[in-house]
Amino acid sequence: MTDPARDIDALRTQFAEELARASGEPALRAVRDRYLARKGGLVSALLRGLGAAPAEERPRLGQLVNALKQEIETTLDARASEAAGARPPTGAVDVTLPGRVPGTGHRHPLTLLRERIEMIFSRMGFLVIEGPELEDDYHNFEALNMPPEHPARDMQDTLYLAAPVRSLAGSAATLLRTHTSGMQIRHMETHPPPVRLIAPGRVYRRDNLDLTHTPMFTQVEGLVVGDHVTLADLKGTLFTFVRELFGEDRQVRFRPSFFPYTEPSAEVDISCGACGGTGIDCSMCKRTGWLEILGSGMVHPAVFEAVGYDPERYTGFAFGMGIERVALLKWGVEDIRLFYENDFRFLEQFPL
Amino acid sequence: MKLVYPWLRDFVRVTEDVETVARELGLRGFEVASVEQGAHPVIDFEITANRPDCLSHLGLAREAAAIWGLPLQMPGMAMPAPGPAEDLDVEIADTDLCPRYCVQVFEVKNGPSPAFIRERLEAAGIRAISAVVDVTNYVMLELGQPMHAFDLDRIEGRRLVIRRAVPGEPLRTLDGLERALEADMLVIADASRALAVGGVMGGKDSETGPATTRIALESAYFQPASIRRTSKGLGLKTEASSRFERGTDVNAPPAGIARAAALLERIGAGRPLGSLIDRYPSPTRPLQIRLRAARIARVLGQEVPPADVPRILAPLGFLVAEGRDADEPGWLITVPTFRVDVLREVDLVEEVARHFGFDRLPSTFPVLSAPQAPLDPRILRDRLLRQLLTTAGFSESMTFAFIEREAAMPFTEPGGQPPAIANPLSEKFAVLRPSLLPGLIDSCAHNRRRGRKDVQLFETGSRYTSAGEGRAAAFCWLGSAVPPHWSGSGRLVDFFDMKGALELVCAGFGVHDPHFAAVDRAYLAPGRAAEVFAGDVRLGVLGQLAPVLAEARGLPAGEEIYVAELDTELLGRAAAGDTLRAESLPRFPAIVRDVSVLVDEALPAAAVRGTIRAAAPSTLASVVEFDRYQGKGIPDGRISLSLRLTFRSAERTMTDDEAQDAMDRIVAALAREHAAEQR
Repeated sequence: MTDPARDIDALRTQFAEELARASGEPALRAVRDRYLARKGGLVSALLRGLGAAPAEERPRLGQLVNALKQEIETTLDARASEAAGARPPTGAVDVTLPGRVPGTGHRHPLTLLRERIEMIFSRMGFLVIEGPELEDDYHNFEALNMPPEHPARDMQDTLYLAAPVRSLAGSAATLLRTHTSGMQIRHMETHPPPVRLIAPGRVYRRDNLDLTHTPMFTQVEGLVVGDHVTLADLKGTLFTFVRELFGEDRQVRFRPSFFPYTEPSAEVDISCGACGGTGIDCSMCKRTGWLEILGSGMVHPAVFEAVGYDPERYTGFAFGMGIERVALLKWGVEDIRLFYENDFRFLEQFPL
Repeated sequence: MKLVYPWLRDFVRVTEDVETVARELGLRGFEVASVEQGAHPVIDFEITANRPDCLSHLGLAREAAAIWGLPLQMPGMAMPAPGPAEDLDVEIADTDLCPRYCVQVFEVKNGPSPAFIRERLEAAGIRAISAVVDVTNYVMLELGQPMHAFDLDRIEGRRLVIRRAVPGEPLRTLDGLERALEADMLVIADASRALAVGGVMGGKDSETGPATTRIALESAYFQPASIRRTSKGLGLKTEASSRFERGTDVNAPPAGIARAAALLERIGAGRPLGSLIDRYPSPTRPLQIRLRAARIARVLGQEVPPADVPRILAPLGFLVAEGRDADEPGWLITVPTFRVDVLREVDLVEEVARHFGFDRLPSTFPVLSAPQAPLDPRILRDRLLRQLLTTAGFSESMTFAFIEREAAMPFTEPGGQPPAIANPLSEKFAVLRPSLLPGLIDSCAHNRRRGRKDVQLFETGSRYTSAGEGRAAAFCWLGSAVPPHWSGSGRLVDFFDMKGALELVCAGFGVHDPHFAAVDRAYLAPGRAAEVFAGDVRLGVLGQLAPVLAEARGLPAGEEIYVAELDTELLGRAAAGDTLRAESLPRFPAIVRDVSVLVDEALPAAAVRGTIRAAAPSTLASVVEFDRYQGKGIPDGRISLSLRLTFRSAERTMTDDEAQDAMDRIVAALAREHAAEQR
């Protein structure tokens, strides 16, 4: 035989648990129906069950059930008014649904970097120019101290045109420019010193596609010519640029090299970001701790002679870098070909 | 160039370890590719094209001598005694290609060479073959002078002629290939045939072998450009050709012979017969250059102590004499013939700078003496284009300027051919693109293949038509017109989305009333193509990509893909420029009237608009279509076009009667011109 007093306590516990789980008005209504419905409610059922109890116990048990009923009603009323108070106002929106993002496109990562570089040099007083991508042999090679048969032409394997094509500069072009230096020659041919400019643009080399090469890539070259321009000025300018682009914590190194159009020539290295310049087990910098980033030098007097500048009076410096390489080093892009596949999964990783 | 560390120490007794030697040479312009430790530690240097003298241990030893201030020791030399030469007739027929030719006859025993030679050669990356061949290679790696040994008994007529090849002249080279030579290639021939390609590779027929007992050992100087052409022409790059083509020392050939003689004698493999035959008709005079102390400071931006100049240049092989000009302190420098890169004063400045140390130069900033000119307008133009097109939802792409011919042809003017590349990497990069669209379309297909439904891409860049190089911007749109959203009502892109993007670009450039005319283009779907004009200037084209073309590039034929391309040079010129004048705001209210007319479905909206403008008084401020309906209640072949007209006077408030009068005239004109019925 069951103990009615115990049943009453059990129902109270059960109610408390169900109430704790119920959230929102519909759930509270369901709890009210389950416990307090006249027909089939758990409290009425309990009351009816008292018929089986001894007569002298009934009044006391009846009081206990009624007290429970009262308690449940009060609790549910309180919770119901609480829930009603939390209800959003009429016309409210669900702020957690996704918004309509205006369909804005991304600029290409190489553009982001190119514009950043243009901005740094603009601030240093550099003019930014653009020019033809098809060139003649004179402006791409000869005027740059690379006569025909010059061994340095091997450094830049060239794509030639099957027949001359009119270039943007109006000349009969025979090749795809291997660097943007032709623009600088054209600028010097038409402007007296002083000169302070950068020439960004696409350039072409006969290189097969691999992780670090594409037959087309983007270059920024710079040129400064004046009465008192020195190798120390070149060093100062490039160190400022490199630190601004890569961060003040990077070490920069200036090292002799060779280019036919500069003398002396120098390369600029930055300390490797992957190993912090230690080189220890680092594949990024091939264990040297340094990454080559720029080629540069003092403009060769033969170049000045070609454009009609007096090499005794004027000195100048020139530099050049591949933007793709800067991007590989700056962002850790592992495959240069990604820049030319235009895959949205790549493009969308960069800011708008 | 693999520098074998103990070999270097034959020339300079450096005490630093291999890593230090590598680093210090690296900081003087010799980039280090790798350092290998071991019994014969090796530093692999990337020697720049201007320093062929450093394709040798001697060359790098001079650099080390200058770095550490150590004396340079030359290796053992044994110049054959003067006297009558062996019976061998040597004639240089083409001295322009071969200014100097030395040859020495040796009696040899051509067995294997001893371990010290073999080990060093192998450490330097050259296979040991036999005493004679190994000695020639050893001398080359040591002094930078390539040499070649002929089997004397295979030389016909006891005669060597250095001459240009007869066109088509046959020669089997040491690599076993039968070659047909060209007229400009230099050969070493005997009385009847070519024996070797001078400076590039020897011939099989005169090759030395174990049975060889007498050799003619060649040590020559060949004209660099000629070797370069020949090596390229034959597709044959050898250790010898890569040295000759950059320039060897015209005064080194006798030293090469003397060193080889010493080595052959030392290893017991041979001894000279007779004296040296040296054909050198016009000896080169050494170059002398004045180096001014002031010029060094002028170029470097740093004074170099005068004592440093001889300290740096003398160990490198330069003869340094104090200058005699009291007004211009400096030096008179005699350039050794092995320094083919030093031709003028600034080359000497570089030598001084390299060994003074680039790291010791200060960091300064060039003086700005004039205000900077503004940015090239084309740079600003392209920035604005990118801004407008990204605002319109297009992402920027970059594609190659060369494409496959098949992809280019539909975009080439009828009857024309895209400019071809003479030496393309592959058929995929055969021609210059006549349009930016083929590349963009391929990029769209790439994204589709990777599951991206909605693609909006643009590119700005060069294109190549019959007029030559030009600049263009192209954009391409497929998939949704608006980004997908839970609120539904998605819609696929149509012609007017693309036209709107183009109008936005025009507006951004201040081209406020571009007009559009239907056009036929092979690459666009018929009836879905238009040209856009600013005044009389044709800026570009837009339309639906021809389905057959879409399919050919891997895109679904059933889907509408929209493309557009603009000539950005023309767009830049059509731009309004900096002429803007702000207008004051209207002072009087406008009157708005709507009109709906039934017209022929083929009648362009622009014609209706034009008739309205012509008939309206000057108070008509704007006219814009707001509905176009065809279907139930409209007769077949006609459409209902609704337009909203705004009237406004600058002088006073207009009356309803005035507006009504204008509307009556407009409706009458529409009826007259287009048989339009007002609804």
